[in-house]
Amino acid sequence: MFVMHTSRGFLSCFLTLVGGVLAAGVVFGQGWEVSPASILMDRPESSQQVLVTQLDGATRRDATRDAKYAIGSPNVARVDAAGRVTPLADGTTELIIELAGVTRRIPLTVAQFSNPVPVSFAHEVIPVLTKSRCNSGGCHGKAEGQAGFKLSLFGFDAAADYEAIVRAGRGRRIMLASPERSLLLAKGAALVPHGGGLKLDADSPGHRRLARWIAAGAPRESADERAVVSIEVEPREVVIAAEGVQQLRVTAIDAKGERRCVTAESDFVSNAPFVADVDAGGLVRASDVPGDTAVLVRYQGHVAVARFVLPRTAVAAVRLPERNFIDRLVWDKLAKMGLPPSPVSDDATFLRRVYLDVIGTLPTADEARRFLDDPAPGKRERLIGELLERPEYASYWAMKWSNLLRADKVKVTPQATVGLTRWLRRQFAMNRPYDQMVRDIFTAQGPIQNESPAAFFKAVDQPELASRSVSQLFLGVRIECAQCHHHPSERWGQDDYAGLVGFFTGVGTKKLPDGGEAIIAKTGSDAKHPRSGEIVPARVLGGLAADFTGERDRRRVLAAWATAPDNPFFAKAIANRLWAHYFGRGLVEPIDDLRATNPATNEPLLAALEAHLREVKFDLKAFTRTLLSSSVYQLSSETHAGNQDDRQHFSHASPKALPAEVLLDAVCQTTGVPEKFNGWPLGVRAVEVWDNRMPSYFFRIFGRPVRATVCECERSNEPSIAQALHLMNSPEINAKITHRVGLARQWADSPRTADQLIEEVYLAVLARRPRPGELEIARQAFAVAPASQVGAAETGVVQTGVVQTGVAETSVATPDASRMRREAVEDILWTLLNSKEFLYVH
Amino acid sequence: MLSFRLPGKATRTCDGVSRRHLLRLGAAGLLPALSLPRMLAAEETAGPSGRRARAKSCIFIFLEGGPPQQDMWDPKPDAPVEIRGPFAPISTSVPGTIFTEHCGNCAKIAHKFTVVRSHSHNDNGHATGYHYVMTGRRPTFADGEHPIPTNELYPSLGSMVARELGSGGGTVPPYINMPHPMGAGGPGFFGAEYAPFVIEADPSQPDFEVKDLGQLEGLSAARQARRQRMLAGLEKDRQRAGRAAAMSTYYSKAYDLITSPAARRAFNVREEPEKLRENYGLTQIGQSALLARRLVEAGCRFVGVDAPGWDVHFNCFPSLEGDLIPPADKAFAALVNDLEARGMLDSTLVVMMGEMGRTPRVNAQAGRDHWSMAQCILFAGGGTRPGQIIGATDKQAAAPTRDPISVADLLHTVCSLLGIDSHKTYDDPLGRPVPLVDGGKMIPGLLA
Repeated sequence: MFVMHTSRGFLSCFLTLVGGVLAAGVVFGQGWEVSPASILMDRPESSQQVLVTQLDGATRRDATRDAKYAIGSPNVARVDAAGRVTPLADGTTELIIELAGVTRRIPLTVAQFSNPVPVSFAHEVIPVLTKSRCNSGGCHGKAEGQAGFKLSLFGFDAAADYEAIVRAGRGRRIMLASPERSLLLAKGAALVPHGGGLKLDADSPGHRRLARWIAAGAPRESADERAVVSIEVEPREVVIAAEGVQQLRVTAIDAKGERRCVTAESDFVSNAPFVADVDAGGLVRASDVPGDTAVLVRYQGHVAVARFVLPRTAVAAVRLPERNFIDRLVWDKLAKMGLPPSPVSDDATFLRRVYLDVIGTLPTADEARRFLDDPAPGKRERLIGELLERPEYASYWAMKWSNLLRADKVKVTPQATVGLTRWLRRQFAMNRPYDQMVRDIFTAQGPIQNESPAAFFKAVDQPELASRSVSQLFLGVRIECAQCHHHPSERWGQDDYAGLVGFFTGVGTKKLPDGGEAIIAKTGSDAKHPRSGEIVPARVLGGLAADFTGERDRRRVLAAWATAPDNPFFAKAIANRLWAHYFGRGLVEPIDDLRATNPATNEPLLAALEAHLREVKFDLKAFTRTLLSSSVYQLSSETHAGNQDDRQHFSHASPKALPAEVLLDAVCQTTGVPEKFNGWPLGVRAVEVWDNRMPSYFFRIFGRPVRATVCECERSNEPSIAQALHLMNSPEINAKITHRVGLARQWADSPRTADQLIEEVYLAVLARRPRPGELEIARQAFAVAPASQVGAAETGVVQTGVVQTGVAETSVATPDASRMRREAVEDILWTLLNSKEFLYVH
Repeated sequence: MLSFRLPGKATRTCDGVSRRHLLRLGAAGLLPALSLPRMLAAEETAGPSGRRARAKSCIFIFLEGGPPQQDMWDPKPDAPVEIRGPFAPISTSVPGTIFTEHCGNCAKIAHKFTVVRSHSHNDNGHATGYHYVMTGRRPTFADGEHPIPTNELYPSLGSMVARELGSGGGTVPPYINMPHPMGAGGPGFFGAEYAPFVIEADPSQPDFEVKDLGQLEGLSAARQARRQRMLAGLEKDRQRAGRAAAMSTYYSKAYDLITSPAARRAFNVREEPEKLRENYGLTQIGQSALLARRLVEAGCRFVGVDAPGWDVHFNCFPSLEGDLIPPADKAFAALVNDLEARGMLDSTLVVMMGEMGRTPRVNAQAGRDHWSMAQCILFAGGGTRPGQIIGATDKQAAAPTRDPISVADLLHTVCSLLGIDSHKTYDDPLGRPVPLVDGGKMIPGLLA
């Protein structure tokens, strides 16, 4: 263990640098620096990561692996090329670092090497097991353990782990008389057959430390003075070059304030490995994809984050017009990242996007034509306002929230599914402020078949399930992890989980005389800690024990906290959820996993959105209008060389797959043939079907959610071959295209010219007019005899047999000619329905 | 370093040689056929990887509802009649191995496959047991009404295979279900990309057709070509990335399926000679097995054949001997023979099993109820050693007495035979790394 004397260390480092600068007579900020300023290692298994940073003006570059290292007395310590120092014997010497012709020396002391203090089980043994992944979820850490040996996940339960290692299995895992032959070590080093293979090399410091612990009698200390109270990662903010590297250092601080380097024992995870990935030793390697990432560092239940920005270089900042604060903050970020935005999209793209995003419905050909031909300024804002007032808005958002609130007819009864769906539709239709709506959900009671949110508590009918569902859905906190173990990347532990459960213990159900069921609120009680069984007083996340004075329904206290102006989770969670819906990706991803270790890709923007949502008093329509009015929302999805790799910063729109229900409705609308759902009146749209279990091949292959979780991720938007086959070649879709009262037939039977027909189909399916080349391709369909084209060169241009296009065809006389005309329209409709442009929101 | 755990009490085989003795003989090299696979199995368990693909594809026949172990592959002729049931035991091509009289086709080729008699788990529900067997995960729902697939979160074995092995080179999708979706055959959090392509039709019917693969009524080949030409013309110049690009590749695969004669032929079970079709049996399970072989030939990695109807609570024996056992017996035997004749048996793993077995004692309604404690699994080909009985049950066929095999063992074994690292992890929607299979060991002695 080494001790860095923080203030003095910093000062001496500073002086070293200044001295170097003065001596060399160079500009301040040139040269390089090294940290720490001194090294003390007081355990045989300690190690110290040295960081060397090259300075060039404002830029700092990691040179840890460029420097040359040596030890003054090589018998005292050893240093490798990566700047990691390990002790060899007691003594004092110095670490010599040489870079760019300059040599620096750091005092280095090794103490207690030959006569070390005893190993702490909780603070020194468990981290070795965690780092070696012995207690990971795929191995001995899973609930039932592995091959009879069960450890607590990530080592959060030292008492249980001690029991498992020292006592369970009739004590066969350790051998006090011959530590090296202990099963624990022999398995880890794969000296005996081990299902997990080699996990802890016999030469490694971790192995030596375990052996030393066993040799000392495998003690379990009671004093907790070595408990780590926090960890620090250095550097915390890094601007990294493409293909650049950065060594991280992790320092643990214990209750006495002592600091030691635990880099070699920490876990590292990058949340965007395509930007920069990190290895087990804490070395971050950037890719050539501009972006940013957070590297999560985990040690003994503590977490820290190092943030990396990989900008594109040598790019002049492009700032498009700023319509509101969203644009300003996105352009700021794009300028910082060197990402020029795509241009604002054309009217047709905007039109289709905003229809599908806001109301889950395509514009009709007439609606499209009206908008495209409208010369008045401000038509985009007007359209946004109109769409928000359409009944389809309420239906679409009711569907989305029925999924999230798990309106599953099997679980909550069909009547209750209808009741919840209706209640949701009314909330969105009347634009109920979100905080009020959620307060109603939190405190719902009464008959579940009523038009009310009560069915939600039938869907999440256990206090544990209710608490983790509410937490994930409304607070963006995945507390679920903490049901079984301390959250691996958050501060939440099992006591936080139990504290939250205590708010829902009073929720019960009552059978009603009419055979129905009602949610009732009884006096709740505090919940038990899942492991220790101790009673944990109900408390909100990050808060103190709740005060239920004068409140019978404990959920009211939680609701008041959640919707209070200073709640750190509530507004942020819904702001991010709505952003993700409209922009195709959350500022935080996954969208319901907000935590310090998973920062937003644009934190000022998320903060501003949160503030704006409060400012408009949780008026979702007003908030949506702000989102959609921004230039950022209206950007083209076409990328250019400068931003094609951007996946995080909204420099261009991202194509979004049409959800199953929206896609089916779009097919029905563009063919003019509604879907007949079994047991439902004709004309009901897929978005309106509350029955989540309705058998439907279409829904199944296009991934309609079954409402098994409160996670948005339940909806699968992944493409499959069955989807492609169905759209291309199914009798169902073909029947719609060729239906005798369908739109294709109506168009074909109208006195339009071929080009007018083509335009009509384009407007109906893609909400735009065909481009010249596309018109050319579509005209092929009007060739006199399609059979003659078989085997024709696939040039895309048909030379012969084309019906005179552009000329009114008033003389569609023969039945043969009218059939061919019909087939031509059908084939164009088929082609557009199968284009990728149709399947995605662009 | 290898050691074998021996039962505390030496058990004797029918010829009077104790197991302990057999093992000693084996260790001395006198019985290599017995000991070598066991040693290999031990090695397989010990090694961190050892991932050599023995099989390229798997045909998984699922006898949904719970086939009765004692009325088929694990007869108990010495048990009282209320246990052993009315079916007589018959000898098989492997001396000492007996089946019941309705498994005559399999009895003739018992030397070509292996029966595991000791598969055992404790989930006694249909949907839940099916979920458990196909995913290795305990279901979070109770038995009752469920969507299909029931595995909303965790991927099924077929989806794992599809994800790990991808396309087998041909046009056909890597993972296919027939004649309807397998109850728990879904992709879970792997997503639609790894969902089975489902042939929702019975290949034994004269009008059998694969959904969305047939010629559309009223659409001439000329129009078909015109549509494709126009679509290709439109898509040619559009830049595609991400999912849209993936969709494009699925479109071209789908187009190949519709238009490529080879791909369409793979689904056309009617092309098979009448004689061979009869060998498999003109039944749903028989023709499904035959079609499965065609699909494997065309490059499919995992064909799941769902054969329902085995939940025989009432008056079970007439339906077992009339409708259930003979078609399954015939289909399995024909499939193994056919694969062997075509030289495909080594590269094709065939598995036949259900989600549970049935109660040892015949109930008051002359049926048998749910019993997951003892089940049989049939394995053929794919690098397994044929002609064996692995594991054993007590005298009532109620519980394993030797080599109990868990669901994890089964899944790990199938993955390993296909060269898949069953411990590979994927992050679930909560971000937790989840292994394909939680634990599991190779079924001892199964490897050739």
